[in-house]
Amino acid sequence: MATAVGTAVPLERGVRRRLALGRNLPGYMFLAPWLAGFLLLTLGPTVVSLWLSFTNFDLIGDPRWVGAANYVRIATADEKFWTSMKVTFLYVVLAVPFKLTFALLVAMALNKGISGLTVYRAIFYLPSLLGASVAIAVLWRNLFAGDGLVNQLLFWAFGLKGPSWVSDPDYALYTLVILSIWQFGSPMIIFLAGLRQIPQDMYEAASLDGAGPTRQFFKITLPLLTPVVFFNAVVQTIEAFKAFTPAFIVSEGTGGPVDSTLFYTLYLYQEAFAFLRMGYASALAWILVVIIAFFTAFSFLTAKYWVHYDD
Amino acid sequence: MTDAAHHAPVSVTAPPDNPGLPTPLWQRVLIHGVLIAASFVMLYPLLWMFASSLKPEHEIFSNPSIWPKSADFGAYVRGWFGLRYSFGTFFWNSAVIAVLAVIGNVLSCSLAAYAFTRLKFAGRDFWFAMMLGTLMMPHHVVLIPQYVLFLNIGWVDTILPLVVPKFLAVDAFFIFLMVQFFRGIPRELDEAAAMDGCGPWRIYWRIMLPLSLPVLATAAIFTFIWTWDDFFAPLIYLNDMGSYTAQLGLRAFVDSSGKSDWGALFAMSVLTLLPVFVVFLFFQRLLIDGIATTGMKR
Repeated sequence: MATAVGTAVPLERGVRRRLALGRNLPGYMFLAPWLAGFLLLTLGPTVVSLWLSFTNFDLIGDPRWVGAANYVRIATADEKFWTSMKVTFLYVVLAVPFKLTFALLVAMALNKGISGLTVYRAIFYLPSLLGASVAIAVLWRNLFAGDGLVNQLLFWAFGLKGPSWVSDPDYALYTLVILSIWQFGSPMIIFLAGLRQIPQDMYEAASLDGAGPTRQFFKITLPLLTPVVFFNAVVQTIEAFKAFTPAFIVSEGTGGPVDSTLFYTLYLYQEAFAFLRMGYASALAWILVVIIAFFTAFSFLTAKYWVHYDD
Repeated sequence: MTDAAHHAPVSVTAPPDNPGLPTPLWQRVLIHGVLIAASFVMLYPLLWMFASSLKPEHEIFSNPSIWPKSADFGAYVRGWFGLRYSFGTFFWNSAVIAVLAVIGNVLSCSLAAYAFTRLKFAGRDFWFAMMLGTLMMPHHVVLIPQYVLFLNIGWVDTILPLVVPKFLAVDAFFIFLMVQFFRGIPRELDEAAAMDGCGPWRIYWRIMLPLSLPVLATAAIFTFIWTWDDFFAPLIYLNDMGSYTAQLGLRAFVDSSGKSDWGALFAMSVLTLLPVFVVFLFFQRLLIDGIATTGMKR
């Protein structure tokens, strides 16, 4: 399409640009769906969300700029925020370590070269896979109801009369912790894969030197497994911070009894979609981001003191 | 263990079951005993729920056995028609959303992964870094603006907010997964095809995709299960009962008739778990390898 024959320089520049475009075009065509999604559904909303967190917005009127008022209220005048923080942290601190411990113990038992490995592995993994569904939360609510299976078994086995777990604020959160522990399958599979990377000759050498199983565990297994422990801990902690469905179903969307299962995400949901305080909820979302970012950064910074990569 | 297994990030092709030192017989017996007991504890709640769906009402809360005295499927009928819409509607809605999500995710994520691994273009590394950055962000940040956006363009109460983002590769995790896999495919293959005059589209469609079936299948299966199980997004976007998914239908059932008809509630719970369970039975190996090699959440 070279029309202007006499003007060599602009033509060349045009051709060069067209060549560059031709070089880049296929890449951007393949990237287009992601790029559109990234700009419209991720980057744009992230910016808007930050802005909304400084406004009052009820979906009907226009957002009204209030400066840092939302954050100030969260920090100083919102008891529910602090309750939900306490509930969430308690949940994370209890659920994650227990879950990882079970996952590691079962993975080590499965790594003993026993038969039927694939069957056991499948059975232990199944609850993790089903766990996010409403049905499991419904099941849990019934297991731990006053006349539910758990109390039936307690009575049948020990003659104990259990509390009505899910409607007792002293116990409701623990039933959710137990639910989370029941789903130890996916970290278990990752532990199992990690255990199989440990060279067997290390154990052989250790037992020749007279090291018992406990010593082998603390001197070989655990140190060599720290990268996997680290990975599982970070992933599971972030997931635990974001837990929602079980608390929603078990408490019928209220976070009750007496806010004892008011997970942070549940509180955020209530503020946004029950009370239509979208600006306030955006501020809550950003606090969650900061907490998760802080936690992740902290994990990575401390990792160098306890995570061993073979080098 | 083979040498290759040492060097793989995490072994994909599992080494033989026996990893070295033989375990003494008494230990094996003990381990099997503990594992069988643990398996029973893991499965007991699920079996109890299934049994309860077949038991008459009075037996559910008096008989902790997982063997009902007599099997009665009446609860399934009562549950299925227990709401204004039948569960057939909810299952259909879930199936449509899940299938579209699978197609969307596999297509859009593989397109992006192909661009990131095989095509050269200005800004590629920058966008790749951006993509990795989105992996870390909790979804809650974009939740409210996305809702406002979909509300304003009239998509609330349609399946579009649940499906369209999948076609825009919003689940960056799967892009990452596919990038890892594509990098393992020898470049010579598509370079040879390019020599023969294949354009990028044909290379993507005729060479990369067919060679990537394992990772595409893993992405498809996890997308299906996660979409099927998803409660939060449908809860926000679907308000009209006629558009409910199975998860929302179950929750509505809990809130209404479920409280007086436990058998029907458990029956519907069993049914909503069934598709995931069936997928698990068929693709167990793929799912477990996917978890082991990439450390997917859950």
